[in-house]
Amino acid sequence: MFFHIVLERNMQLHPRHFGRELREKLVSKLMKDVEGTCSGRHGFVVAITGIEDIGKGIIRDGTGFVTFPVKYLCVVFRPFKGEILEATVTMVNKMGFFAEAGPVQIFVSNHVKIQKDSEVRLKIIGTRVNATEIFCIGTIKDDFLGVISDPAGS
Amino acid sequence: MSLESFNKLVKLTARAFYDDITAKGDNQPKSGRSDNRGIAVVVLDALTRRQWVREEDLAKDLKLHLKQLRRTLRFFEEEKLVTRDHRKETAKGAKAYSAAVAATADSLPGREGEEKIKLHTHSYCCLDYAQIHDVVRYRLHRMRKKLKDELDNKNTVQEYVCPKCGKRYNALDAIRLISFEDDGFHCESCNTELVAESDKLASQDIGDGDDNARRRRREKLRDLLQKLEVELKPLTDILHRVKDLEAPDYGTLQAWELRASAVARASNSDPNANDSSRSGMSGTPMPFLGETKIEVAFSGVEEKEIKAESAPLKQLPPWMIKEGMNLTNEQRGVVMQESNADGTSLSMDDQKDEKKLINQEVDDKKKLQEEYFKAYYEALLQQQRAQEATNIKEDPSIDNFPTDADPSNSRKRQREDDEEGDVEWEEETPAPVETFKVDLNVEAAEPSGDDEDDDGIDWEEG
Ligand SMILES: [Zn+2]
Repeated sequence: MFFHIVLERNMQLHPRHFGRELREKLVSKLMKDVEGTCSGRHGFVVAITGIEDIGKGIIRDGTGFVTFPVKYLCVVFRPFKGEILEATVTMVNKMGFFAEAGPVQIFVSNHVKIQKDSEVRLKIIGTRVNATEIFCIGTIKDDFLGVISDPAGS
Repeated sequence: MSLESFNKLVKLTARAFYDDITAKGDNQPKSGRSDNRGIAVVVLDALTRRQWVREEDLAKDLKLHLKQLRRTLRFFEEEKLVTRDHRKETAKGAKAYSAAVAATADSLPGREGEEKIKLHTHSYCCLDYAQIHDVVRYRLHRMRKKLKDELDNKNTVQEYVCPKCGKRYNALDAIRLISFEDDGFHCESCNTELVAESDKLASQDIGDGDDNARRRRREKLRDLLQKLEVELKPLTDILHRVKDLEAPDYGTLQAWELRASAVARASNSDPNANDSSRSGMSGTPMPFLGETKIEVAFSGVEEKEIKAESAPLKQLPPWMIKEGMNLTNEQRGVVMQESNADGTSLSMDDQKDEKKLINQEVDDKKKLQEEYFKAYYEALLQQQRAQEATNIKEDPSIDNFPTDADPSNSRKRQREDDEEGDVEWEEETPAPVETFKVDLNVEAAEPSGDDEDDDGIDWEEG
């Protein structure tokens, strides 16, 4: 499921970026640092959509680095138990197959007769979340679930 | 009224689920002589014939060691079938119980030796019928759900086990277990290739993930599910029957004793026994007014019926008769055999049966001619009624009304009902069902539990 939320982060900026482009530098660094990461708390940060507020910077003793508290709007993706997702099969072994739905990886056990790169619709039956990653297990045994397109067909 | 059905439920439950429970600790080896399987059934059966009972007395009655009985009872307490009460009591307190027993039980002999007891902790036990009903239903539900889920492979988290060191994993660990050499899952500790843990119920052979093993497993599961339905049918039947009945409830030990002694006081006026028993219970004697009875009179047909019949057994209105109630024919109304148990059927078949029966009566040479005429008139009446019934089919209660004009005739037919009707209400205790081992506690150990924990992170707070 996707959410559009406000998050906050303290950004450290090297003194060489101080100047006219400070704000642009700050935002591009924020994007580089945050987009594509995953926090167990909020899920995968898909994209930053705007800056809410940049607070006053504090100059660090000794290094000259400046820390800015930045509030930003972003889209996050967080899978939930019971959620139906469409995913692409990335690997098949004799225990089942792995699939990806955007940034999230899902393992489906006991289905070995599935081709790599096919698309499946699956239901999440369990999630394992820790501070920096989310892993899901799913099933395709339910109504309207299963392979929705073969790699050969497309 | 419902006690009989509930007792049957208890007995069936005992045979279905507790047949092979031993009262032994697990550490003690089982030898042929000390094998006491079936003890659980005996104890439960004995409890169906009692209300609150002191455990020493029960042990004596059953000729069991108190320790052994206690162990069994403790087990049933954990299983939520039995409530127990422990209290320190003097001779007086013990006497209160004895008095209560003397008042309620027609079978248990009175005990005189108890006066010597100084201050001992006594334990009492009693069946908790309402809870038994819930527990059994829950147990069956869990059994079915477990099998069905497994059959559908639904929501079950596949487990993997290391054949070398026995370490266990589940599908949620999958990403950590992939080996880069061969895409298989390998043990984190010893790097042995893991095998999928096939389910414990279904098969002994380790399913190595191939389709044949899976198919065999499914067949086994389906068999098991079918067996469950067939073998536990008596139990599900009785559950269905008691579904709408009120469970017998003896209350707490104290409430039960108070009630029992009040009854005793009402029936025999021996002031000594009652006084001592009450003062044993509590310091201030409480006036006990007997069981509160509430009678609700509905206006309309039912009221008239009750008034008309002043016999000790009142006829119950059809809407009060539920499946599973043990009623006499008076209570059911004389035309009981014409109606189905649920009392709502209005099919023409019923009425045909009715006529056949009347024909039998007519043919019977031993009948007096007078009765012949009565029956004849009744048949006429019946025919009229049949016509009426077809006209007003909407009214379901019409079939249940007593219609016989002549009471003497109706009594005779009742007696016949009695003879035939007995068959319907007496069921044989079925042969002990083959036990079916499903560990109800398994779920707690299921890995789904630990992903629940993982999910516990609060999302809203961000
Ligand atoms: Zn290992």
